Amino acid sequence: MSQDQRQAWFARMMESGLENSIFKPSDVLAHATPDVLASHLPPDLLSKVLAASLAAGSMTPERVLETVTPELLAKHLPHDVLWACIAAAAARAGVTTS
Amino acid sequence: MKAFFVAALSSALDLGIATPDDVLKHARPDLLAEHLPRPLWARLLTACLGAPKVDAQLVVETVGVSNLCEHIPEAVIWACIAEIGARSLGGEVAVQKPVVAASSSGPKPLAASTAAGPIATSETTNSSRHTPAKPLAIGAPPPPETKAQPAPPPAKAVSTSIPAPSSAPVTIGIEDVVAELDAEAAPPARARTPTGQRFRQTNTNIGRLAQANQTKRPQAQAAAAPPEVLATPARPARRGETEIEVEIETDVKSSDDWRTALAVEDEQLVDWSSSEETMTTTEGDTHSRKR
Repeated sequence: MSQDQRQAWFARMMESGLENSIFKPSDVLAHATPDVLASHLPPDLLSKVLAASLAAGSMTPERVLETVTPELLAKHLPHDVLWACIAAAAARAGVTTS
Repeated sequence: MKAFFVAALSSALDLGIATPDDVLKHARPDLLAEHLPRPLWARLLTACLGAPKVDAQLVVETVGVSNLCEHIPEAVIWACIAEIGARSLGGEVAVQKPVVAASSSGPKPLAASTAAGPIATSETTNSSRHTPAKPLAIGAPPPPETKAQPAPPPAKAVSTSIPAPSSAPVTIGIEDVVAELDAEAAPPARARTPTGQRFRQTNTNIGRLAQANQTKRPQAQAAAAPPEVLATPARPARRGETEIEVEIETDVKSSDDWRTALAVEDEQLVDWSSSEETMTTTEGDTHSRKR
């Protein structure tokens, strides 16, 4: 699996989990903490996040994920972080491997 | 320079001269994203996510003025401070360029830049009068407030107050000069206090009482008198006379050169008849007192 494929896959998983309410944006940011975002998001993306929040008057996980889309999450964040988010949601849903 | 920026920006925010919006107007999110370190960004994101409202104040307070001045380019911070300064001075021009670019764009005299504003005070004009007209860009911040140093008195002021000797006609006569010198030489009537006795001290009772204050009534003359041993045999005192009278008479008779010893003025004479102290004094004191 190439990097692009895995990235596309993670992006799709994140998008689907949000669409299907497997996990919420706050669950995403519970793993993609501000430290993680600040460490891995490029400056222009951070700028957009802050600018959007300033324009809206608040910074919410939903607004963050409006800017940092699942594709961008998969592109910039470590995939193990995204996987932890997905695995935790599955665990909450009672879907476990063991 | 950074410390100055921190102080200037912090004080402006504290005093309400500037708002956090003014800061973020220059320190835009893209600049923050470019220059702020990631831990600061993490802190900022954490604060923003936890805050019910995200605004410039939150950003500035979270990041901190010191961090902004530390990481954001100086030109950006300076542009912010310059705009705040221009606005506080009544300038309507919003400064967007850093000082280097602004100064090279076209210098304008200080008087011209401040004349349009409502704060063309006399102090400004005074300072511009004392200092040479230095070109100052309109975008530059207000010059540091310097105390107006008092101008040295011009030399003409001194020369004009003193009349020239050649131009002043001599109208004072020699009598006036002498009278004036006499008036200056003469002591004022009650201005001087007596510093000491002019005449020889007499060992009166008052003199002995004043021995506590030796500085006022020195007894040096009495001590410096040469000891005279008067071989005065016991003369029979005349009846009816006091011993004081006897002493005076004895002294006069025993001293042959009493007329040439010292000239005694009338003011120095002591009324021995009214003084009882003579009975208790020694013979030497008596002699020195009489002299």
